[in-house]
Amino acid sequence: MMLTAVALSTIDKLALVACFLLGLGLWMLLPRGSSRGKAFGLVLTTVSLGLFAVRLWPLDDMVSDIVFYIMTAVTLVSAIGAVTMQSPVYCAIWFALTLLGTAGLFFFQGAQFLGVATIVVYAGAILVTFLFVLMLCNPEGHSLYDRLSWEAGLSAGTGALMTILLTWTAASVTFADARGNTVGPTIAVREEAPATIPFQSSKDAQGRNILAAQHVEKLGIELFTKHLLAVEVAGTLLLVALVGAVAIVAHGRTSGMPVITEEARRDA
Amino acid sequence: MLAISIEALIKIALLMGGLMTGAAYFVLLERWIAAWVQDRKGPNRVGVPLTKIKLFGLGQPLADGLKFIFKEEHTPRHVDKILFTLAPISILAAALAIYAVIPFGSVLPKDGIPGVSHQIELIVAPGIDVGMIYIFALSSIAVYGVILGGWASNSKYSLLGGLRSSAQLIAYELPMGLAIVGVVLMTGSLRLEDVIGMQAASGIWTAFSQPLGFVIFVVASFAEAARLPFDLPEAEQELVGGYHTEYAGMRLIVYLIAEFLHMITASFLIAILFLGGWHFWGITGSSTTEVTWFQAIARIVVLNIKIFGIIVFFMMIRWSWPRFRFDQLMSLAWKVMLPLGLVNLVAVACLVEYQPALESKLGAVGITASMWGIALVAWIAAGIFAPLHSDNTARKDSFVLEAESRNRGLRTTAPGQAT
Repeated sequence: MMLTAVALSTIDKLALVACFLLGLGLWMLLPRGSSRGKAFGLVLTTVSLGLFAVRLWPLDDMVSDIVFYIMTAVTLVSAIGAVTMQSPVYCAIWFALTLLGTAGLFFFQGAQFLGVATIVVYAGAILVTFLFVLMLCNPEGHSLYDRLSWEAGLSAGTGALMTILLTWTAASVTFADARGNTVGPTIAVREEAPATIPFQSSKDAQGRNILAAQHVEKLGIELFTKHLLAVEVAGTLLLVALVGAVAIVAHGRTSGMPVITEEARRDA
Repeated sequence: MLAISIEALIKIALLMGGLMTGAAYFVLLERWIAAWVQDRKGPNRVGVPLTKIKLFGLGQPLADGLKFIFKEEHTPRHVDKILFTLAPISILAAALAIYAVIPFGSVLPKDGIPGVSHQIELIVAPGIDVGMIYIFALSSIAVYGVILGGWASNSKYSLLGGLRSSAQLIAYELPMGLAIVGVVLMTGSLRLEDVIGMQAASGIWTAFSQPLGFVIFVVASFAEAARLPFDLPEAEQELVGGYHTEYAGMRLIVYLIAEFLHMITASFLIAILFLGGWHFWGITGSSTTEVTWFQAIARIVVLNIKIFGIIVFFMMIRWSWPRFRFDQLMSLAWKVMLPLGLVNLVAVACLVEYQPALESKLGAVGITASMWGIALVAWIAAGIFAPLHSDNTARKDSFVLEAESRNRGLRTTAPGQAT
């Protein structure tokens, strides 16, 4: 309850307006059967992203500022593209770009392994498998029914609600910086003291050094000591899934095959 | 900050220039070797432009490049225009970005370069701790270029090429990864510099201590680079040109450069992971912190000679081995390479775990010999128990189909089972 109270007091109206505009813009952009209002939806989405951008924190040096905002913009814009495109192949490509942007943001925070693993697992394996299947569909052969988004209003509304919740959470989180000072809530404090509380750039914090020499080593030790049980359970789960997939294939084959009689064998 | 950026930019410029020139001249080398194998003369006319000097045909890459640039940039009407352009760009970008973590030498000494007070590491991004996974990530991005090119072309040949390619690349990433994991286990690091450093320090290249891993990696990298005998994605005799059938002009040359870059990347990785990188006994020294100018340059030369040798090997293989059929390709990956990779991984893991005990009992030579023994046993076992992926007789279950068709009154004869 305490947290909610803090969050309600710290969130400002501009962020709420931005979320509302985002939901409206998304609803207009989604494929609803007519192309009317798409341009207006684009404008609304851009405006709302701009509103979010002006509330954000300036980082302590210009280079990280530029890199961070470019990657954020790429991630968000391509995420919007991924949900609003009509052709499934384009959705997949936009989603791949979202993943690349996310991986870039992970890298920016010093989580090298997570960043690279995102690309390998999601973009490299899962999405390629999607594309593999999508390629077998004719690009123009879908019925209109397949190319529409179902419940456009509901999904856009849920998205806006989700954004509001996330903004609340982000606005109410406080964390300790390297010097032990309490920092945040990030969005609301900006107007009061933009210069006195620098954002934690990845260079300052010891644990988040982008070029940490023993990044993977530390990660491995953490995973295989503290979280050993979780790793083992996840591994077992994957093994079960693998065996299950093989079992399904093998089962389908034996039951689908005609019985080879001795006569047929001889004849052949 | 500025000095670091300038250093990185110089390295990038060197690499780009080297790679692009390298790719152009490797095309010429490939044509020369093809001509030599087939007892022809090959390209030997184009020399210095506007003169009569021939120079053994060394001007050929320039002429080829100009030809591609001035050709009509034809976009067929039936293609998806955006993806049609995006596909070659993405494949080239991924192929080039890989070189951020690949070292092209060792380090340069501290003294001798004005304005630089530290050792310059000859690698664009020396601090990346996840180098090998990064290479994996980008080579999986390269699959997009092939898939999208095949799909956007909206042509049967291209689509088949794209489908084959994606299945092939995904299948061979697994044995490749297993071979790499062996090296990583032995080194204890994912950085390519550390892999070379480990081999240089011990003087034993990984190819000697992990012969099985070496063979698997070489085969898998042939498949990843889509070189013969694994060039099914663009098998000329069946698919015209595979996924780039519909391409022409600049977009085609971008595809071709990316393909050559994949081969050069594979050579770099083979040289670095398994053949000691810049290390050669007696010439280059083995310290990564103290180098003389002679050693620094010798290391670059040694690495480049190794890469050149591997590329010549790639090109010779092209003219000595017929192409696999697709089912053979898949059964080789899943039923031969993958189990062998697992054997290698387990052997290396045991070796690393019990290294002190084994070393005192067997010695370094004994350990290497036992790894060769394991490799030999696994190889023979694979030869006996793995399916004959190179036979051309009809599949055993084809007589099921035949019996079926006879029941329906359609008499057919399976190929290879003619009565």
